[in-house]
Amino acid sequence: MLNREEVLKIAKLARLTLTEEEIGFYQKQLTRVLGHIQDLNQVPTGTTAFVQHIPSDAEPFRKDDAEPFPSPLDLMKNAPSVENNSFLLPTIVEHS
Amino acid sequence: MSTIEKYESVIGLEIHAQLLTVSKMFCRCPNRFGSLPNTQICPICTAQPGALPVINKKAVELGVRAAIALNCQTHLESIFARKNYYYPDLPKGYQITQYEQPFCTKGEVFVRFKNGDEKRIGITRIHFEEDAGKSNHESYGTLVNLNRSGVPLIEIVSEPDMRTAHEAGQYLRTIRGILRYADICDGNMEEGNFRCDANISVRLKGTEKFGTRVELKNINSFRFVEKAIEYEVQRQVLAVEDGEKIIQQTRSWNSAKNITEVMREKENAHDYRYFPEPDLPSLVISVEWLDKIRAEMPELPKQAAERFKKSFELSDYDAAVLTSSKEMAQYFEKVVAESKNGKSSANWVMNELLGRLNAVGKEIESSPVTAGQLSELIVKIDSGQISGKIAKTVFEEMFATGKDASSIITEKGFVQISDPAALENAIRKVIESHPSQTAEYRAGKIKLLGFFVGQVMKETQGQANPALLNELVKKLLDQ
Amino acid sequence: MEFGIQTIKELLSGYQKKQFKPSEVIGAYLTNISERDEKINSFLQVRIEESLGRAKRLDEKMCEAETLPLFGIPIAIKDNFLVSGWQATAGSKILSGYVSPYTATSVERLEAMGAIVIGKVNCDEFAMGSSNENSAFGNVRNPWDLERVPGGSSGGSAAAVAAGFASVSLGTDTGGSIRQPASLCGLVGLKPSYGRVSRYGVISYASSLDQVGPFSRTVWDSARVLEVMAGFDDRDATSSKRSVPKYTEELKNISEKKFTLGVSRKWLEGVDPDVAKSFEAGLEMFKKAGGKIIEIDLPHARYALSTYYLLATSEASSNLARYDGVHYGYRTQSATTSEELYSRSRGEGFGREVKLRIMLGTYALSAGYYDAFYLKANQVRKKIQEDFEKAFTQCDFVVAPTSPSTAFKLGEKTDDPLKMYLSDIFTLPVNLAGLPGLSIPCGLDSKNLPIGFQLIGKPFGESVLFEAAQQFEALRGEFPLPGFLEGACRR
Repeated sequence: MLNREEVLKIAKLARLTLTEEEIGFYQKQLTRVLGHIQDLNQVPTGTTAFVQHIPSDAEPFRKDDAEPFPSPLDLMKNAPSVENNSFLLPTIVEHS
Repeated sequence: MSTIEKYESVIGLEIHAQLLTVSKMFCRCPNRFGSLPNTQICPICTAQPGALPVINKKAVELGVRAAIALNCQTHLESIFARKNYYYPDLPKGYQITQYEQPFCTKGEVFVRFKNGDEKRIGITRIHFEEDAGKSNHESYGTLVNLNRSGVPLIEIVSEPDMRTAHEAGQYLRTIRGILRYADICDGNMEEGNFRCDANISVRLKGTEKFGTRVELKNINSFRFVEKAIEYEVQRQVLAVEDGEKIIQQTRSWNSAKNITEVMREKENAHDYRYFPEPDLPSLVISVEWLDKIRAEMPELPKQAAERFKKSFELSDYDAAVLTSSKEMAQYFEKVVAESKNGKSSANWVMNELLGRLNAVGKEIESSPVTAGQLSELIVKIDSGQISGKIAKTVFEEMFATGKDASSIITEKGFVQISDPAALENAIRKVIESHPSQTAEYRAGKIKLLGFFVGQVMKETQGQANPALLNELVKKLLDQ
Repeated sequence: MEFGIQTIKELLSGYQKKQFKPSEVIGAYLTNISERDEKINSFLQVRIEESLGRAKRLDEKMCEAETLPLFGIPIAIKDNFLVSGWQATAGSKILSGYVSPYTATSVERLEAMGAIVIGKVNCDEFAMGSSNENSAFGNVRNPWDLERVPGGSSGGSAAAVAAGFASVSLGTDTGGSIRQPASLCGLVGLKPSYGRVSRYGVISYASSLDQVGPFSRTVWDSARVLEVMAGFDDRDATSSKRSVPKYTEELKNISEKKFTLGVSRKWLEGVDPDVAKSFEAGLEMFKKAGGKIIEIDLPHARYALSTYYLLATSEASSNLARYDGVHYGYRTQSATTSEELYSRSRGEGFGREVKLRIMLGTYALSAGYYDAFYLKANQVRKKIQEDFEKAFTQCDFVVAPTSPSTAFKLGEKTDDPLKMYLSDIFTLPVNLAGLPGLSIPCGLDSKNLPIGFQLIGKPFGESVLFEAAQQFEALRGEFPLPGFLEGACRR
């Protein structure tokens, strides 16, 4: 069983504030799911190669030509808060 | 031995260099910034839902160019990874970078010092990544500008091979020179296009074991590099001497206070949760492509130095100085192309021009004397129009006013006297006014020749053509 | 009501014969939605004026019904696709009010070929779920039984077509999110091969598994939508450059090919008896056409659930990091530090299941666990892929029921995520192996709920997948309509 501290540690890493009720719920559910996935340990994988899920004929490259997005302002319209055409956080950023 | 001399520092640098592409790393936004924030942005570099990255081929090419220039192994297959962390100017919540399998490892660069010494610095790896945006911290909050978000970078990680701040500084200059030479990065540190973090530890000389490492960030100007590292080394030595333990931490250079300050402790280190970027296939560089990039490599400083040595019969040192930056080499090549005198061009550039530039704290790019002007001056010396001595006076004037040599010469009447009749008159006058010396000379004291030459020079205010003067003095005395 | 259950083929034919005009058709579908979606809750946005406007413009160009493959076809789009100027929420409060600044490639291609997007439909939040009960905007009800779920995560896409609100719809399938709701709603649902359809403009859940696909009443319609939207997109580095066959041309005649179908009985243990019976009947139909059923082994299929939940949640934990209240979307009202701003915005903005999966994925990628979880799962994924490769040396398709059960009751599995996950055991391995999978209705259970038959093809084997599915469709005959449509629509 994952303990409360472990759940809080994961939540902190994932940047999720949880309510008391949620902490209990996730403690239980994460423990269950993590218990279930232990079955993978039964599969001998040894040096099995990493999956390349992308088709081999995909094209990862594009030419280096610039094409400005026509409406950068539209990208600001969704911002919760804007000041001086910049995204505004009403808080001081701490070095984390 | 002073306290500090008992220790040696172990320094490794991580250099971030923005690549000179037209567009960003994974999107087609222009890779240049207007003055207005958030004008060079698109759905991809602002991490809109559903947006996906596609790799800029030119960025890869420039990275491979750097790998070749730094004598690295280029890997034909490498993978992009996500580095997950939260910061307001990192809109995706992760940075696309390379982690376990970078495209390039194991290189080296030779750093040259003033005294002619050379030192090998190992390169651990080079990898691709994208830049973050910029956060401006104001009293009322933080303003985020994403114009820089997604700009292509290479990170060049050195081995901990440097032992002094000066070595680190020279290494940084060398790398910058190479990247600029090969048109990979403009090397502008003040603008943040070329940045460096240093990993610094100290240990007693003669010991093998590395001390605890401190990462020093925010060294954003060439002026600070050595100062910042020196400060940090001294701080660590003093701490060790005081019996303190060095704590593994990240520190930041405060250029206003000239000190390093704690940014974060190790226990607060990020858990970046790296994993392969599922939106991108592995980065495959074909042998043909690699060959093509190699074939199209621009000349590197070392190659330019070799060429200068051969073509212009320069010393190792001269060649190295003249290729220390692309602008320097270009300047010199322009001078030499018109003056057709390699040795003299090298001397003028290195001794007169660089000396003056240093004195006024200017770079060669902003020299008040252009390459064309300097070559004109050299041509005038070589053709006997002015003497070398006068040329120095003319040059001072050129440097101060930016005027051409010819106009200064005309203005000041600096033209060399190369008319034999005029010179002979002056020589006769000197011979007449110095009968005893004349007698001595004629009696065999031929080293007095110099005395007569000097007197005539004085008489002509230094404007006599020295070669002709010599010849004529000898002729008239021997009569 | 005139319209509601017409297929693309039927609508095109009517347009070509000038029996009706796009504005009439679109108008009728919009009326269906406004009058009856209250009971289903499938639409989150209906663009009445915009789609009528488009339809009227098409009215003027009726001759284009001959050339445009989707001329005047009313289509519903899952709300995790971006359509410029429209809201896109992905069923999440964290994106409520978010207006798309650009359009997804797949949608762009459908619209360019005459399709009319009439609205955006409900789904599980960020496509995480198997019942559509994880939407921040309410449950969707199954038109076959309003007390039951339509399946998920593309529950709204399935319900909208089943209820006669759209001719076809688009969904996304990461672990079964098209095939399972198609099965539960009695429709054809296709998950194409990974890389077949561009993911650009589709809100990511798990990048290495997500794929776009259609819901339709017929195999031909499915083929038509796929042939229009599939193909290389230079904005998606995971999309294949392989050319796209004219699938519908290939479907002109009912195939007489004798297919070999692979079945792994071990894998199918624990299936509902009604579903098992219907599946067997489906196999019999293929046999009737001369097909052969062989036993295959998929020894690693049983690990698909664990593999999927590690990989999908790991990718999701990173893909959903961008929803942090800084650049767009929901922002908490109470934060004094930026860390608080992220954590509270995310804590308040995401729903319960999404948070569970983000935490699971964060854990699986975190220092010290990466090898045991993410890397291990990736290796098992390879094993699953190899199982299929081996099977395909013996058979043309692997077949299985799409879902182990038919539509379940609303609320039946909401308290137990793991039980919910089990709804997807037959669809998950297909995403893990990157294969095309198609669910086609094959029968009804004792409660009169539809059952889906799943055909799994070789990579990029959509052509032959459609061919077999159409053969099955012909033998099966007309599939019944849900009770919801009785008296509501007529042909």
